[in-house]
Amino acid sequence: MSARALAALTLVVLLAAGCESTGQGASHVLGAIGAATGLPGFSSAATMAQTDVRGAFVDMDEPEEVELGRAIAAAVGARYPVLRDPALTRYVALVGNTVAAVSDRPDLRYYFAVLDSPDINALAAPGGFVFVTTGALAAMKDEAALAGVLGHEVGHIALRHHGETIKAQKRKTLFRAVGQEALSYAPGVGAFSGLIGLTADAIAEQVILKGHSRAEEMESDRVGFQYAARAGYDPAGLREFLATLASRDDTGARKFFSTHPGTDERLQEQAKLRKEWTGGGRREAARFIAAMGR
Amino acid sequence: MKARLMIAVALTLTAVAVAAAQSGTRWVDRTKADVRAGKASFHEVVDTVLKGEQVQILKSEERWLSVRTPRGKTGWLFEQALSATAVTPGRSDFLKMVPGGDASTSATAASTGAKGVYAEQYARDKGYDFDVVRWIESHQPTARDAETFAKSGAGR
Repeated sequence: MSARALAALTLVVLLAAGCESTGQGASHVLGAIGAATGLPGFSSAATMAQTDVRGAFVDMDEPEEVELGRAIAAAVGARYPVLRDPALTRYVALVGNTVAAVSDRPDLRYYFAVLDSPDINALAAPGGFVFVTTGALAAMKDEAALAGVLGHEVGHIALRHHGETIKAQKRKTLFRAVGQEALSYAPGVGAFSGLIGLTADAIAEQVILKGHSRAEEMESDRVGFQYAARAGYDPAGLREFLATLASRDDTGARKFFSTHPGTDERLQEQAKLRKEWTGGGRREAARFIAAMGR
Repeated sequence: MKARLMIAVALTLTAVAVAAAQSGTRWVDRTKADVRAGKASFHEVVDTVLKGEQVQILKSEERWLSVRTPRGKTGWLFEQALSATAVTPGRSDFLKMVPGGDASTSATAASTGAKGVYAEQYARDKGYDFDVVRWIESHQPTARDAETFAKSGAGR
């Protein structure tokens, strides 16, 4: 058994035995084992394994999340071509940053991009990457709708909706890897091609194909509504966008709802929130239409 | 006249009390937090503070605190990155694996952060074009544009 696999197995056993939920104290045990066995490279392997094991049980910190997000952004870019239109990207990012600045996580750096696809879709990756397709933009009437959709996606990131998937995937991979002695220790970039790399595959699949749970969609709708309103937009934008799609029966709309479940419930909730909202807000239809080149 | 004087004194005392409550020091409660030139994440990073470091609070606006870092830099931190009680120093497990990520606290390191070769290596292994990510990161609006738009665009 490799040193790293042994270290990982030791940590899993310690955690399973309730030694320490975060695995921090377990490093002392690992250090003792390394000293006693004299296994070459055990200390560094233990550090790497500890990182892997802890990540399977606790939230990842922001630097790791951002790097994971960049990996997933590359995966999204491989699935959908990124539209290299600087003016349109800038406009979407301006609206997105306006909404993100009033979100529950305003200190994370956000990156916005447009995907050149007739599919109607919007995606959020961990670490602040938000995408919207040209198909989705074509289904919008004004900036308030864009703000609502981007607010919803920022909500997935601000509420760390990818977190549980990340931890679950890490646990799954970790146990399988320990069983197969597949955890290969390599300094530098090798670290990322271990558990994090495998996690990136799972999150990319969630972001691109599976989408979030119904409860997470509802939660993102609620905060998306709040973010759009706080930013000064009419928060009815998201509901109107969803209603437009619900009234259609084409491939684009069906694809959207395959990754965004619970439409009827979401529309009802948004209508209720809008009814209770008395703050008004701007639509910015002219600016949106000009930015879209219509 | 007397009433006005009393109101003025009361307002002054309130202002002093608020300033006193806002001042003092706090401790960084995240493995890494970027201190920015303004109260939003699109502003330039002026310094990076690490878990357990102590910052001096200069003022508070909305959900952001103006701070002076241990290296004498001033900028803004989101309030949730700070604790009112001392925090035990600790480093990011992930940054320990990033070349230069653990040791450096410079603004240069902050601007790149953990952004290193990890995601790029992943993309290469999968056959993805990582240039797409670089393009996205390099085509975001400037801080000035974003701030102007946020203030005037939606009429906040």
